[in-house]
Amino acid sequence: MKIQSLDPRITRSEIELEKPFDEAKELDQWQTYEVFHQTKRGQQHQHVGCVHAPNAEMALLFAKEVYGRRGLCVNLWVAKSSNIFATDYEDADIFECEEVKTYRDPGYYKVMDRIKAFKEKQQSI
Amino acid sequence: MNISEKGFEAIKDLLYKMADDQLIIGHRNSEWTGLGPVLEEDIAFSSMAQDKLGHSQALYDVLSQMGEGDPDTIAFMRNAEQFHCCHLVEYPIGEYEFSLMRHFFFDNAELLRFEMLADSSFEPLSFIAKKIKGEIKYHSMHADIWISQLGSASEESKIRMQNALNETFPLALGVFEKGIFEDVLKSEGIFEGEDVLKERWMSAVSQIIEKAGLKLPEVNSITPSLGGRRGKHTEYLQPLLDEMTEVFRIDPSAEW
Amino acid sequence: MYGNAYIDPDQTPNKLTQDEDPARLAEFEARIEGGDKIEPKDWMPKEYRKQLIRMIEQHAHSEIIGALPEGTWITRAPGFRRKLALMAKVQDEVGHAQLLYSAAETLGKSREEMINDLISGKSKYSNVFNYPAETWADTAIISWLIDAGAIVNQLANSKGSYGPYCRALERICVEESFHLKYGHDNVVFLATGTKTQREMVQDALIRWWKPVMHFFGPSDNISVHTKTLMKWKVKMASNDEMRQTFLNMYVPKIWDLGLVIPDPNLKKNESTGLWEYTEPDWEEFKRVINGDGPCNKERLAVRKYAEEKGRWVRKALLRKDAEYVTPLV
Repeated sequence: MKIQSLDPRITRSEIELEKPFDEAKELDQWQTYEVFHQTKRGQQHQHVGCVHAPNAEMALLFAKEVYGRRGLCVNLWVAKSSNIFATDYEDADIFECEEVKTYRDPGYYKVMDRIKAFKEKQQSI
Repeated sequence: MNISEKGFEAIKDLLYKMADDQLIIGHRNSEWTGLGPVLEEDIAFSSMAQDKLGHSQALYDVLSQMGEGDPDTIAFMRNAEQFHCCHLVEYPIGEYEFSLMRHFFFDNAELLRFEMLADSSFEPLSFIAKKIKGEIKYHSMHADIWISQLGSASEESKIRMQNALNETFPLALGVFEKGIFEDVLKSEGIFEGEDVLKERWMSAVSQIIEKAGLKLPEVNSITPSLGGRRGKHTEYLQPLLDEMTEVFRIDPSAEW
Repeated sequence: MYGNAYIDPDQTPNKLTQDEDPARLAEFEARIEGGDKIEPKDWMPKEYRKQLIRMIEQHAHSEIIGALPEGTWITRAPGFRRKLALMAKVQDEVGHAQLLYSAAETLGKSREEMINDLISGKSKYSNVFNYPAETWADTAIISWLIDAGAIVNQLANSKGSYGPYCRALERICVEESFHLKYGHDNVVFLATGTKTQREMVQDALIRWWKPVMHFFGPSDNISVHTKTLMKWKVKMASNDEMRQTFLNMYVPKIWDLGLVIPDPNLKKNESTGLWEYTEPDWEEFKRVINGDGPCNKERLAVRKYAEEKGRWVRKALLRKDAEYVTPLV
């Protein structure tokens, strides 16, 4: 029996109401690409999500509308999800920073006192 | 350059046919929303359909400013014989290859037409042409990539695409049907004319079709599907309009 | 747009954590308690993964099936303004499905498996989409009230514990707020318009009140199961809490327009601050969820048709060297 729908698009498609479904096989929906967008020249690209696509060219075409249809994008990158390598959250402690490493911070270097003292000494000579 | 009274009549005719094309193809392509071949493509196709509607609205706006009705009245209150769209845009969406091939032929023509109109002596038209340049570029890019890839992807896709091409090509030639004011448009610097457009279009699409591994029929052997520009339409247009205006016509004076 | 995940009452509770390593479980629960998000590659209890997949998947299905009732009017929207907005709105629903399927994929279920489970009926979607959009005014009510309900639910869930789901929901909520504004605008124009328009929208409200009340699902039985899901921040608020939030925000707005809600018992109890209403027919709710609603068959048949119609396209472009890995999202 064909569907008689309130939706005229459906009615004219003459869709069978009950028909067995030939199941989607693996990769029926292609592979995934991760999408990175740049909102403005000068800004860094940021990861925004993924698209299913058969190749990079198509992935870019899709990413433009999936992630950029409300504007605010000047450039897009895509990369196959399989080509992204990540650290393990189990190893998150490698990012923990010891306090002694303040020598890497700009605020660690305070020489104004020394310069001031030096100048005073010079003047007193 | 000053545009004559005749020139303004010609402009109206041009605006009507362009806006009608975009309204009808935008309407048709919106039918795929939620039914597309993959979610990502569904989204992209819908965006382009929305753009087309937007373009038609912008052109109807210019017509309004020239003394025609407001865009909603123009779009929703005319009958088929008052429309100037080409037959290509009227056909039902069919299978995806049909919709893609129509999109490819139509949007390549649009891209070139608006490129030409960017230099038009009629300022509102050159303004729109410049404003929507980016959208149309994406549309033709989208079409070109799909045609290039599906043309040689598999045996099945090759056959489907070639059949769709054979079916849509005579309709596509109807895009370039001249209106009664063709000479005025040219002489007043409004639009370089359908012949120039068609030539550029042939060169653009034949390159992509060849690269895709598909074959373009011999143009001279084809009878273009003509009449649309003069109000003679396919059997599909009036039912489309009846459907599109069903709610609007419940009470055209109401604010929806 | 989406209601709450429907938790099967027949499911055996208390088995949620019995096979889990207590130390890892404690660490996992402490992380959530501390407000941290869980990411795809983290260790997680089996049941956490299972419940999340089910919930996100149901949500994704609801979006793609939810494109159909409003899609019913996509070729008939009156005037440019409505035509464009409805196209964009239905498109967004497809976009939400795309985002949500991706979020669910990070938990290890492929999009293909989810599609197959949707079509076989193994996996559910929000009950409301099994009702028809009979007139143009129905789409206005859906865009306003169903999307409003969805926002209540999605805002709550966006504060949940699973990173990819929260990220998807944040994006979705921004778009839903356009839907809500559009829907409200549409209802306001009808309600303040001609007599015919007003009658259309009143009738649509009467038709949709039942699905709206069903939207958040029946009162939760406060089982160990529910409590654990709440502790894990999978379920963020009880169905009744969300229904109350919704009624509190929207009933006054509906009454502002002079529209009649078909429930004579609906009123706010000023001393408790809670809304009182006629208990919805939960038997009907269950019947419809299990397949016996006015549009269940059509919805699934249409989805199946779309999948099959597009298959040659997908098959043609599939490369031989393609390899599926779970997306990062």
